[in-house]
Amino acid sequence: MRRHIVRASALAALVTLITGCGVTVYEPGVYKGEKDPLLSMHAKPEHKAQLQERFTKGQAER
Amino acid sequence: MARMKFLCDSERCIECNGCVTACKNEHEVPWGVNRRRVVTLEDGVPGERSISVACMHCTDAPCAAVCPVDCFYTTDDGIVLHDKDLCIGCGYCFYACPFGAPQYPQQEAFGVRGKMDKCTFCAGGPEGKDNSDEERQKYGKNRIAEGKLPLCAEMCATKALLAGDGDMVADIYRERVTKRSTRPQSWGWLTAYQEDV
Repeated sequence: MRRHIVRASALAALVTLITGCGVTVYEPGVYKGEKDPLLSMHAKPEHKAQLQERFTKGQAER
Repeated sequence: MARMKFLCDSERCIECNGCVTACKNEHEVPWGVNRRRVVTLEDGVPGERSISVACMHCTDAPCAAVCPVDCFYTTDDGIVLHDKDLCIGCGYCFYACPFGAPQYPQQEAFGVRGKMDKCTFCAGGPEGKDNSDEERQKYGKNRIAEGKLPLCAEMCATKALLAGDGDMVADIYRERVTKRSTRPQSWGWLTAYQEDV
């Protein structure tokens, strides 16, 4: 009888442990890291215009 | 605005290595890692050419395609960046890159290479705030966030190396080629951006 109780409690503990383990499934080919704050800044037209102006001033032929 | 691109005009590059030095100094790149290198073809023979090479921020970046942990991401205008927290230093990107851009800071037993390092187009990485100490330590300076362009190109004495809006870069190069009456030799452009100048 005691053996049954031990087995049953072991099984119950195992089931509890397994259900406690959350498995995260990731999509392949998708970046999963932290979001870069530059991305939002870079999307602004003012920032793009600033970079274009910088290019014209510094790298265009004089 | 078109995507950001690099172009090295081999007719103008004088192999001064100023771009290499500027990059190393600006980003405090560790010993053994060169984000940019000057390669000389047919060294010492007539027709010798030098080209400044770094990550070209490819349109369909092969490094990103092979990365097993997907640590690469691309900005709105095509700058290919990576997250060193996710990188496992497997070296797949190094084998995939046609320009040999990915670099590794360590060479230890059992192939331990450390986190991959490469040119960021002076745009840092995903670490906290732009130009924070953490970002600077991991990825170098974030000049793009400051409204500046890559230092290697900005300080090129002969303007051989151009970095910026792809359309503007191509316009300048086309004008030069027309003036010189030579054939365009935009080394790496076709491989990286899958289009000719």
